Amino acid sequence: MSPSRVAAIALRIVRQIARDRRTLALIFVVPAVVMALVGASFPESAGSGVLSYLAPALLAAMALFFAFILTGVSFLRERTQGTLERLMASPVRQEEVVLGYLFGFSLFALVQSFVVLLFTIYVLDINYSGALWQIIVFQVIVTLGSVNLGIFVSTYARNEFQVTQFIPLVIMPQLFLSGVLWPVAQMPRYLQWASDFLPLTYAVRGLREVMLEGRGLKDVPLELGVLLAFAVSMSALGAATLRRG
Amino acid sequence: MRARVKEGNLDTGKKAAAVEVGRLAVSFGHFRALDGLDLRIPAGLSFGLLGPNGAGKTTLIRTLAGLLKPQSGQVRVLGQPPSPQVARNIGYMPQLPALYLELSALENVSFFAQVYGLIQGKARRAAMEEVLRLVGLWERRGDPVLRLSGGMRQRLSLACALVHRPKLLFLDEPTVGLDPELRSTFWEYFHDLTHQGATLVISSHTMDDASRCDELAFLRAGRVIAQGTPEELIRAVGKIGASLEDAFLYFARRREEESVTQ
Ligand SMILES: Nc1ncnc2c1ncn2[C@@H]1O[C@H](COP(=O)(O)OP(=O)(O)OP(=O)(O)O)[C@@H](O)[C@H]1O
Ligand SMILES: [Mg+2]
Repeated sequence: MSPSRVAAIALRIVRQIARDRRTLALIFVVPAVVMALVGASFPESAGSGVLSYLAPALLAAMALFFAFILTGVSFLRERTQGTLERLMASPVRQEEVVLGYLFGFSLFALVQSFVVLLFTIYVLDINYSGALWQIIVFQVIVTLGSVNLGIFVSTYARNEFQVTQFIPLVIMPQLFLSGVLWPVAQMPRYLQWASDFLPLTYAVRGLREVMLEGRGLKDVPLELGVLLAFAVSMSALGAATLRRG
Repeated sequence: MRARVKEGNLDTGKKAAAVEVGRLAVSFGHFRALDGLDLRIPAGLSFGLLGPNGAGKTTLIRTLAGLLKPQSGQVRVLGQPPSPQVARNIGYMPQLPALYLELSALENVSFFAQVYGLIQGKARRAAMEEVLRLVGLWERRGDPVLRLSGGMRQRLSLACALVHRPKLLFLDEPTVGLDPELRSTFWEYFHDLTHQGATLVISSHTMDDASRCDELAFLRAGRVIAQGTPEELIRAVGKIGASLEDAFLYFARRREEESVTQ
């Protein structure tokens, strides 16, 4: 394992994305727009209670969603343009590639999470209890998992269209079944059971505990543990399937 | 039959091999792209892989670079099976430039330099300047690849393969799309490299490239049908004024007759 090779790969990715104005704009503006739309579309009568209940879930969902799409498409491009293969002909090891990509994409995913977070807190004026750093810990772990999910999924896609086809497969069920929109407890038994297997369920639950109930990280060990396990297993999967396609 | 061509070439036989391949088979699905290929490339030469479209040149180079797993057979590069450790001493220029389009020429070269272990800033800068001047892109080093022409990208791709001064270079059609002047410059540099002890494996269709190689292998349908110096291969045809093209056709036909009589 060579830290300088990992750093070279991470820096390269940051540079590539930073050069692309439109992608940059997409990364930073779209999450804020989505949050604003959600905020504006809620009826006054629902009160700020619903929105504050929704905010932690949206934070988690967006971290998952954007990092996944961004990684999936970028990684696919590396595959189709031959740059990944070119890299695999060098002394680089697979773990170094995965780590490099991870750090590179995580930087943007994190900045994106901050945008969403600040927007929720200051523009939508949503009250939350709990410390900011605890929210960030959650966001980082979700991002790590979803970056690797993107790498993994890109091995099964031949082109950009196919990557987007994974959205209904990977993202939509999680949006509906993980308690983002309505409580898991209100769903039929078998769907509740299904939700136990979705990482977003744990992110939503943990973030709600932290943001709404003012709990600390030590109060949500199950949620953190499952998310970490998800991130680690996805990293292993990403590394194992790197050469394919 | 290959041995007969090699007979007169005693001194290459003594040299250490940079590449050794025995009974190599590589498949894509059911299709055998390399079908029992034997090849020995002596160190310190410019070695040409010559053959028509689909002969298996790229497949062979990708296998030597460790990118494709052989179905069966032996592969040795610099005395070892392909691995990340050996890759340190190998340069690879793919048939299609694999560059980062948003990054500048200099950033591309710098990235590959770092990946191949040129960490020290001063040594890296010197190496980068040398290769970028060689391919005539030093003045354009700040331009993103997106703004470079096809031939310039080809040249940048070569610079990226050379920057870490590899002992063994795999160049997949490095002269395609280059103007004649630049092609001559490249060949001068290739000869400089072999004089410094490097081994160059160069795939090509053109007889111009072929005639400049120290030694050649003719590839056809996933096999080596003949190997030798350009002179030896031409002499084998047995006609005065024969060209390398004639030589290729001569060996291809002989191969066909052999397979018919079998
Ligand atoms: N990824 C692949 N999947 C399936 N078949 C392939 C693949 N790559 C190459 N082939 C087949 O293997 C054979 C050898 O291809 P290869 O690219 O090695 O030829 P080449 O000698 O480099 O040709 P060219 O001069 O056109 O570059 C061809 O018949 C080709 O169709
Ligand atoms: Mg080829």
